Amino acid sequence: MTTMTPKERVKAFFRREPVDQPPVFSGMGTVTVQAIDKMGIRFAQVHGSPEYLAESAITSAEMFGFDGIVVPYDMCTIPEALGRGASLYENAEGILYPTVPSKWATLDDVDLPDDYSGIFSQGRMPVVDEAIKIAKDHDGGKLAVGSWVLGPFTMAGQMIELDVLLKGLRKDKERVEGFLSKMTDLVIAVARHYQELGVDYMNIREMGSGTDLISPRMWKTLIKPNMEKVFAALESPKINHICGSTDLIIEMMNDCGADAVSVDQKNHVAESRNKLGPEAMILGNFDPYGTLVQMDAKDVPGVIKKCIEDGVDAVWPGCDIWPDVKKENMEAYVKAVREYGKTG
Amino acid sequence: MGKEELREELLKQLHEGVVEFDEDKVREAAQRVVDEGLNAYDAVMNGLASGMQEVGELYDQQEYFVPELLMCADALYVGLDILKPHITLEDLGDKPKGQVVIGTVQGDVHDIGKNIIKMMFEVAGFTVHDLGRDVPLEKFVEEQLRTDSEIVALSAMMTTTMMGMEKVIKMIKEKNPNVAIMLGGAPVTSDTAQLFGADGYADSAGNAVQEAIKMIGRLREMQAK
Repeated sequence: MTTMTPKERVKAFFRREPVDQPPVFSGMGTVTVQAIDKMGIRFAQVHGSPEYLAESAITSAEMFGFDGIVVPYDMCTIPEALGRGASLYENAEGILYPTVPSKWATLDDVDLPDDYSGIFSQGRMPVVDEAIKIAKDHDGGKLAVGSWVLGPFTMAGQMIELDVLLKGLRKDKERVEGFLSKMTDLVIAVARHYQELGVDYMNIREMGSGTDLISPRMWKTLIKPNMEKVFAALESPKINHICGSTDLIIEMMNDCGADAVSVDQKNHVAESRNKLGPEAMILGNFDPYGTLVQMDAKDVPGVIKKCIEDGVDAVWPGCDIWPDVKKENMEAYVKAVREYGKTG
Repeated sequence: MGKEELREELLKQLHEGVVEFDEDKVREAAQRVVDEGLNAYDAVMNGLASGMQEVGELYDQQEYFVPELLMCADALYVGLDILKPHITLEDLGDKPKGQVVIGTVQGDVHDIGKNIIKMMFEVAGFTVHDLGRDVPLEKFVEEQLRTDSEIVALSAMMTTTMMGMEKVIKMIKEKNPNVAIMLGGAPVTSDTAQLFGADGYADSAGNAVQEAIKMIGRLREMQAK
């Protein structure tokens, strides 16, 4: 017997209060093909329509019993609003997420406004705003509504060629730092905007900054100061998410001022729990593709149990749920979280 | 200094220049190889490529990360640009000259790993047909047929685009089962590569270097039979 609405459950979780049952939610996209099929549309259509965006998220949540929804789905809305374009793959077969077609080729080409207040009327930014409003109003506001913004470094990689950025960290440090500082202001402006629209939690995804790409030392000097600035400017609940290799930087991640850290399957959570202690809030860390698309449904509970035994406070997928999930795997995942997860 | 001693010295400088991403050092050593009439192919393989192999190892040991890898690649290209025009058909001798079609699959605009692999194939004397990034799947099949390439190398940085690889492999293998398929990218595992019917894989830019070297070696063994 449940005594809380999904939104109450998620909010209580972040306040570290007891919950009636373990929350099932994520800080990344949770849209499924089952919802898209039920709506009778194609995946490529959801990104440009507030109604489709909200409805596909809500339908996915209601079909499988999620406590929250997360919008937007793609990482191009902000670069697009700043003139970098977006490839939506409207005619492609299957599921493809939008990408940025025209990144700046060099640091000399970067052309950013002095203040970002004008971007919210550009590109698909109004679509996201409207989708958040629709989701918040749905069914008397019962569902938690989360959103996310890329972290400054990952955002920079969506705006400028990644190799220019990565080499620039060593060869052109001063100008890259200046660019990252502008990206930090951009991330803050957008994340605050979504918080003003009333999202229940904000996830900052600095996903391109794991140690598969850059060194812990670089993370300390170039990523951490900007992430600290971002979290200092945001309201709680706020989450610091990085996918890929995070074992070497988990302590620094936890020290950026977020309420929780979120990691993927590459993190050794049991060790991270030891390093961070019992007070830290850790979210994660199953492989959404392997678990929900590839695996036999009978093996899913074992994966979820392992996340919990390793020490996560709430089970989150390590990344966006790949929409083409198996129905029975989703059901097994939700059931296992409810059965084995923490309630306080 | 005797010729062999000079060769050793210049190979060492090329190797170190790549590892230390010292473009000037590589430029100077490569130019001396040319000026002294030493074997350019030897300098590429045993100087530049051997340096890059160490870079791959340093990446695996988490001493180097992607920014360093990219700068080492830049240094390697400085040397390759000088040495390549001096590689003769005779240098390549009985070693077969292969062709590779390479690209990042549709929906993915990440191309760092792809560019590193491309470089290693170029170093080994292959002709590389680079389709770029965000490449529609059928384009790989068309290009393989057009060029009759022995290898098709597909890259995907994201799980979400990796699925496209399976379709390309099927399409290519149906038309030409002897084509070797190499997959690269963070989400690719040995299981996925096997499941998709690929012949080789690399999950990071660092081990892509090692995997490319292995695959080139395997291909040459096959062709030598």
